[in-house]
Amino acid sequence: MTARRSGSRLEGEIERCRGENQWEKIPELVKQLAAKPLQNGEIRGLYTIKLRVTELRGLYTRKSCLLCTVRALRSGAHAHCCTATTFKVELTVRTDTANRQELAKYTEQNTVIIYPNSNNIVFIHNDMNYILCIIVNAQYLYSCLCFCSNLTRGVGRFREILRAIETRTTQNLRMTIARQLAEILLRGMCEQSYWSPLEDPPPQSPLDDPHCPTSSSRDYALSRRPRVYSGENLFCPQENTEEALLLLLISESMANRDAVLSRIPEHSADRVISLQSASVVYDLLTIALGRRGQYEMLSECLERAMKFAFEEFHLWYQLALSLMAAGKSARAVKVLKECIRLKPDDPTLPLLAVKLCIGNLHWLEEGEQFGKMVVEMEDKASEFRAKGFLAIGLVYSLKATDASLRGVQEEYQRKALGAFQRAQSLSPTDHLAAFYLALQLAVSRQIPEALGYVRQALQLQGDDVHSLHLLALLLSAQKHYHDALNIIEMALSEYPENFMLLFTKVKLETLCRGPEEALLTCKHMLQIWKSCYNLTNPSDSGRGSSLLDRAIADRRQLNTMTLPDFSDPETGSVHATSIAASRVEQALSEVASSLQSSAPKQGPLHPWMTLAQIWLHAGAAELVSPLSHNVLFMKGQEAKRWYEEALSISPTHVKSMQRMGLILHQLQRYSLAEKVLRDAVQVSSTAHSVWNSLGEVLQAQGNHAAATECFLTALELEASSPVLPFTVIPRTL
Amino acid sequence: MLAMDQGVVEEWLSEFKTLPETAISSYASSLKEKASLVPAVYKVIRENYSDLLEPVCHQLFEFYRSGEPRLQRFTLQFLPELVWSYLSVSAGRDPHCSGCIEALLLGIYNLEIVDKDGQSRILTFTVPSLSKPSVYHEPSAIGSMALTEGALANHGLSRVVYSGPHLQRETFTAQNRFEVLTFLLLCYNAALSYVTSSSLQSLCQLSSRVCICGYPRQQMRRYKGINSRMMVTSEFLVQLITGIHFALCNGETELGSKALDDVLYRAQLELYPEALLVGNAIKSTLKGAALKSNKEGTRSIQVEITPTASRISRNAVTSLSIRGHRWKRHDAVDLGSPDELMEISEVDEGICTQPGAQGNSPPTIVVSNATAVSTKSVGKGLRRLGGSRSSKDKDKDKDKEKDKEKEGGAEQLSRKQSGSRAMSENLELLSLKRLTLTSSQSVPKGGTLSLSRTASAVFSRSFEQVSNALAAAAGTQQQQQLQQPQPPNHHISRENRYSACSLQEEHLSPTPHHHHHQQQQRSPSISLHLAPDV
Repeated sequence: MTARRSGSRLEGEIERCRGENQWEKIPELVKQLAAKPLQNGEIRGLYTIKLRVTELRGLYTRKSCLLCTVRALRSGAHAHCCTATTFKVELTVRTDTANRQELAKYTEQNTVIIYPNSNNIVFIHNDMNYILCIIVNAQYLYSCLCFCSNLTRGVGRFREILRAIETRTTQNLRMTIARQLAEILLRGMCEQSYWSPLEDPPPQSPLDDPHCPTSSSRDYALSRRPRVYSGENLFCPQENTEEALLLLLISESMANRDAVLSRIPEHSADRVISLQSASVVYDLLTIALGRRGQYEMLSECLERAMKFAFEEFHLWYQLALSLMAAGKSARAVKVLKECIRLKPDDPTLPLLAVKLCIGNLHWLEEGEQFGKMVVEMEDKASEFRAKGFLAIGLVYSLKATDASLRGVQEEYQRKALGAFQRAQSLSPTDHLAAFYLALQLAVSRQIPEALGYVRQALQLQGDDVHSLHLLALLLSAQKHYHDALNIIEMALSEYPENFMLLFTKVKLETLCRGPEEALLTCKHMLQIWKSCYNLTNPSDSGRGSSLLDRAIADRRQLNTMTLPDFSDPETGSVHATSIAASRVEQALSEVASSLQSSAPKQGPLHPWMTLAQIWLHAGAAELVSPLSHNVLFMKGQEAKRWYEEALSISPTHVKSMQRMGLILHQLQRYSLAEKVLRDAVQVSSTAHSVWNSLGEVLQAQGNHAAATECFLTALELEASSPVLPFTVIPRTL
Repeated sequence: MLAMDQGVVEEWLSEFKTLPETAISSYASSLKEKASLVPAVYKVIRENYSDLLEPVCHQLFEFYRSGEPRLQRFTLQFLPELVWSYLSVSAGRDPHCSGCIEALLLGIYNLEIVDKDGQSRILTFTVPSLSKPSVYHEPSAIGSMALTEGALANHGLSRVVYSGPHLQRETFTAQNRFEVLTFLLLCYNAALSYVTSSSLQSLCQLSSRVCICGYPRQQMRRYKGINSRMMVTSEFLVQLITGIHFALCNGETELGSKALDDVLYRAQLELYPEALLVGNAIKSTLKGAALKSNKEGTRSIQVEITPTASRISRNAVTSLSIRGHRWKRHDAVDLGSPDELMEISEVDEGICTQPGAQGNSPPTIVVSNATAVSTKSVGKGLRRLGGSRSSKDKDKDKDKEKDKEKEGGAEQLSRKQSGSRAMSENLELLSLKRLTLTSSQSVPKGGTLSLSRTASAVFSRSFEQVSNALAAAAGTQQQQQLQQPQPPNHHISRENRYSACSLQEEHLSPTPHHHHHQQQQRSPSISLHLAPDV
């Protein structure tokens, strides 16, 4: 009697330890219990645990589910289960491998379910009318499953569970298992080792440990299999990422649903737990979708997480990044602002924001603010400080280009130059700093200095396309056209499909080798366009999540895309261009017509803009892009009306202003002509042809002294003018 | 290089040359046993000036071209080392040395971009959607999803291209360099399970070096070699991260986490959102996992078990419970068991698919119909109401006749249903409770709710109708209804007729009189909204 009592006392003690998760104490208690004399029907060394019936009721409501449990302890003491009513399982679990394999074998014959309540795995044996649940320590058993048996089988088991039709009681389990399977698929499998859920696993898999003999007990048969999802047209993943994604979407929908929203203190622990489990799912989704480049879908998923992401930096940051990667710049900047609020010390955040601001958005004011944030971080920003100065410099540089008043322009140019110099001194090994410094110097026509810095940039990064381009333009400004052409050709050998280089080449060729060669290059460009973009068109079938977003983005792109001016600065060559236009049309009628036929096909914007540029050069661009002021400018060679329209679209288009002035001059309306030209000079103080025209007008008015000044300025400027404006080189972070 | 290694490599070179076609398969399986071969080949690749480099590259290409998967994987395991060798040489601007490595890389690339028939290979995958049933789920079990533009666009499965088609490349240029290397890494990542751990180590080293060379961090890592910066692209970094992720989880914890840090460092400096996104996600999932370098086997996946849901206390407000809250407030119905809920939603869906949803007559009326008719008196009431209405609109003809027929049909149908699905007790109780509602209150409420299309509104309305129907049935006992008998009757008749309409597939078009009436009621508010715009 006393023995029995002490036995039950020990049992109670074990129960308590189990409840308090003090696993290390249990083996000792079990040993003591095992030493007790046994009652009838008990087996020596067995330890009986009555499972809390309520736990199981939750799991299965059948009355017959009686159960025995095996606690496989971390330390690996003897643990047995014994029966309550009819069923008897004897299982010895020890640490040695032989027995672990035995356990693994046992797991083979049963459905495994991870029981979320107690950090344990439940085996549900659904063979007969009873269900056997064995709860063992999860980590331990899991290692059994994955080390001893093999991953292939583990994956198969998980899939089996997941294919079983969901019931209310298994929801939580499903979520956990779905996530775990996705984790395994993403971490431990690859496309080649993948097999679809409805296929048989490969006989030999690299996932299996070759040292562990695979038990050949695959021929077990369960009389009652769980009901599985079935029906017509069931989606069955055929690929690693597909399956992971499907599983993650399922667990996301659950995690999202179960996320605790309330902020009251009593629920804060719950909230943290639910947030963690949800954010693991979102992280895995990010990994899966990132691999496949599906950033739009990712941004939508992450947006769903926002309702419980209050003050959670990681989720906000990931959302911002995904929006950025999906090209939703405006929203990305807004989300980044929130990120900056949450983590004001991180220099990457404002830098990302600047990158967006000076890109498509062209939000220069905001850009400046973000840039200043980085610079003001001082030491905290360390390596990013140089980048901050670079960003600010770029903002000023772009502002200078936009400014319509000369004074403002010069002010910004000065500021930009200062910022680039700071950047360059802070990070002398960064080719970008040297390059932008050179570009800024070039824009303000300090050609020799610019050459020095561009050479420095090229020493740091020999095959940077923009540096090479700038070098060529600088050489052309010094009228070394042949050298410039050599540089361009060299650059083209590294970047054979770069349209910007090709445009410059066309310009230089017309100057050095005459229009025939230039025309050949044009033809070459059209061919490249065709081969490149016809090829990429089908791949552009990415999921357009939001048509509205896309339309807005497109329009914005259209607005900010700077079409370089390709008509020649010399007035005389206008004629040549139009001749060239007709020739091009003639020579390339085949190519053009084939392009035309594909025109209605909705393609990505970029190639169409490129095509527009090519046609613009050939003087036929209105077919493609009727609203561009450049096009109207081309047309307007004949009529003043067109210039007026061109100016109404783009009031600061210098070329149009200049032509307008010329026409007014010819109409003998000198004072108006002078006004227009002076405005043009204000807008672009380096356009030598405008100065020249202004001089002519002044001359006609009899103002010889001022005219001389103008001509001198024009001469001086012409001496440093490149074949294309330096600003054709994109300025981005 | 030791003479012994050289010997191993030379033997390997000559052995394959003399191999007959038929023996390739057995040769491929025997390669594994040559333990000293792989390190020796690594040495050859690392020593750029070795005489053996060219024949080794050639043989590796032959392996790849053979089409035998095991031989291809043998070549593939050296890919990170080859890529590093190529990049470091091209950064050092000494192009002639890396000629054979370049040729090997381009060779593999050109083989991989085409399929067996020589057509450009386009790598696609299907984006799964929860709105389509799969082997793992049923859309109805997932619950209602928000009807957003995105959700609509993603309705159904879409096939997406993630790589390809690619152009054949004869030479490396600055423009195509990373395009080619990114694709090669994609191929490597597709075979990650088969590569050796030394290959994974080499991948981690490649990642670290590419990302930090020429940056201040290089001193921290104490790597001396090239110190000029290498250009990278975001896609290339993402591919590197994918490989690193595998390495991290498969035994290369230390090197892997270093490499991940370095790639993230570079991605921050370059401001690449894609690489940052994936890298951050991996870092965050590993943070909790606390990777242990297990001694038992190098290849093991650890799965962290973080049970959650049931640990959360039941009274905490979740997205789900909030949905329930609104539900209760509107109609105070507690459906006995979720199974019933399921049934309703199924019925609901079945009817939703019919085009005759008619804006403001939600299909849920089926519920009201079925339950209402289960009490006989209601059924009678319905018939009576139907009769009175049709007599009122006598001059209105066939449409109405049909309506009547439909009502008959609906009744029959509902009788059938009433047997199978008994009204739950609490519903009855509830409806009694609801009788306190004045009829004048309930009518406009029904109208306003019909404007909103949320599921909860739909449900709540249907239950309101249930209660109303019951109220009407028990009308004789109710004072309120005696006082104002007309509005509730009106209400019921309308609702029941709608349900009849929606139940009969053939008659979707007829627009009942009262429907018009309701629209007229609403129209002033609509014009008010429009007014400022005009």
